[in-house]
Amino acid sequence: MKIFRPDGAIAQPPHTLTPGRRVLAGARIGVLDNLKPNAGLLMTTVAEPLAERAGTGAPLVLTKNAAQPAPEEVLDQLRREVDLVLTGSAD
Amino acid sequence: MNESEMLDLVDESPEALYALLAEEGWGDGLPVVAPTEERVDAMLSGHRGSPDEILAVLPPRSGACTVRMAAINAVMAGCPPAVFPVVVAAVRGLARPEFNLRGVQATTHSVAIMVAVHGVIVERGGYNAGFGTFGPGNRANATTGRAVRLILLHVAGGRPGDGDASTQGQPAKYTYCFAENAPASPWPTYPHCRGVDSPSAVTVAGMEGPHNIHDMWSTHPGPILEKVASVMTTLGSNNAVMSESEFFIVLSPEHAQQAAAEGWSREDVQLFLYQHARVSRALKERHFAARGLEPPWMRSTDDPDAMLPITGRPEDIRVMVAGGPGKHSCVIPSWGSISRSVTVPVDSW
Repeated sequence: MKIFRPDGAIAQPPHTLTPGRRVLAGARIGVLDNLKPNAGLLMTTVAEPLAERAGTGAPLVLTKNAAQPAPEEVLDQLRREVDLVLTGSAD
Repeated sequence: MNESEMLDLVDESPEALYALLAEEGWGDGLPVVAPTEERVDAMLSGHRGSPDEILAVLPPRSGACTVRMAAINAVMAGCPPAVFPVVVAAVRGLARPEFNLRGVQATTHSVAIMVAVHGVIVERGGYNAGFGTFGPGNRANATTGRAVRLILLHVAGGRPGDGDASTQGQPAKYTYCFAENAPASPWPTYPHCRGVDSPSAVTVAGMEGPHNIHDMWSTHPGPILEKVASVMTTLGSNNAVMSESEFFIVLSPEHAQQAAAEGWSREDVQLFLYQHARVSRALKERHFAARGLEPPWMRSTDDPDAMLPITGRPEDIRVMVAGGPGKHSCVIPSWGSISRSVTVPVDSW
C-alpha cells in the first residue's frame, strides 16, 4: 500500500550565511546581542580583541529580543556600519 | 496525486507504521492512522478550494502547509472530516505575524499551542465544551489539537532538540484543544469580543498548560477571582517578567454565572483581575534584572511598595467560559508578550 509523506515541500530555501572574510584587517566588528544571560558578555569578549586586531575601534553592540526577529532598523544599521557580525549565542 | 509524495508501506499494521515513523523521524510517539489516498480524499471531501492551496509557510523548516498536507496530518491524528475546517483555520492563525510561530517553535520554554473552538462548529464537529473539555475522551478535541501538533512536527520541523529547543516540553504539546461553552456562558461569545463575528471561529495561542482554580465556597465573585489573581502572579511564569503578556482565564459556567448574577460583565472580570493580580516593585526587582520588558509607564515606577499589575492592560486578560458543572476554573499563563493569540473565522464547508 502507499501512504502520503506528512512533511511536504520546503517553500523557501534556508538563508545562507555570507562567506567569511579572509582578511580581518580594516573590518568593522559588530555584535548582535539577543539579551540572553551571558550572550552579550561572551560575544563582546570575543569581539573586542578582534576589533583591536582589525584596528577599527570598539565593536558596535546592538540588541534584539531573543524570541523575535531583529528589527529591520537594527539590521540596516549593522549593514551600514559593520563588516562582520557576531551573533547566535544564547545563555 | 503526486507519486513523489507517497511512500510504500508493507502493510497497515501498527508495527509497520511505527517502523516507518521511526525511520523517517516522524510522529508524536503515539500510534497514527495511515494517511492513504482514500482517507486523505475523504478528509478533503468538503473543501471547496484547491487542495494545493498553500495555507501557510511554517517555520523553522519553512514547510509549505498546503490544504492536502494539513489533511494528511489530520488523517494521521485521527480527525473526523467534520473537524478539518478547524484544523485549516488554526494553521492560518498560526501563520499570522503577531503569533511569532518561529519563536513559539524554537524557544527553550515549554509553550504549547492552545486551540480553542467557538461557535456552531462546536456542535457540528462533535467537540466537547462540557465536562473535562481539556481532557481525554472526545475524538474532536483530542484529534484537532493533535493534528496541529503533527503539522508543527512534520511540516514546520519542530522536532524536540532540532526545530524545538524546549528544555522540558509539556504534555499539552501532544494535543491542546478545548471548546468554548457558549450556551452556558452569561456573556457574548469570545470571538465577538475579539471582533470576529463569523458563525464559527478558532483561537490559537502560545500558552502553558492550565492551572486549576478551585473555589466551591465563595458566594461572591470577588474571592473566586482573588484566587485567580493569586495564580496569575506566580513569579515563575513568563508573564511575570514580560509585563504586556496575555493570560487566558477559562471560567467554569458556575463561576461565570456567579459573577454575572451580581451584574459583572466580562470586562468587569478583566478589570478586577487587572487591579488584583499585582506584584510589588521590590519583589520584581529582586527576581528580574531588567525593566526592559515592562511598558514605559511601569518602568518609571521606582517605589518599592508600588503594586504593579502582572499585565499592562486589562484586555490582555482573555476571559471565556468552558467546562461542565462544578466549581473549577483555570488560569492559563502565556509564553509572554513575544507572541499574541489569534482568533480567526472557520470557513463553513
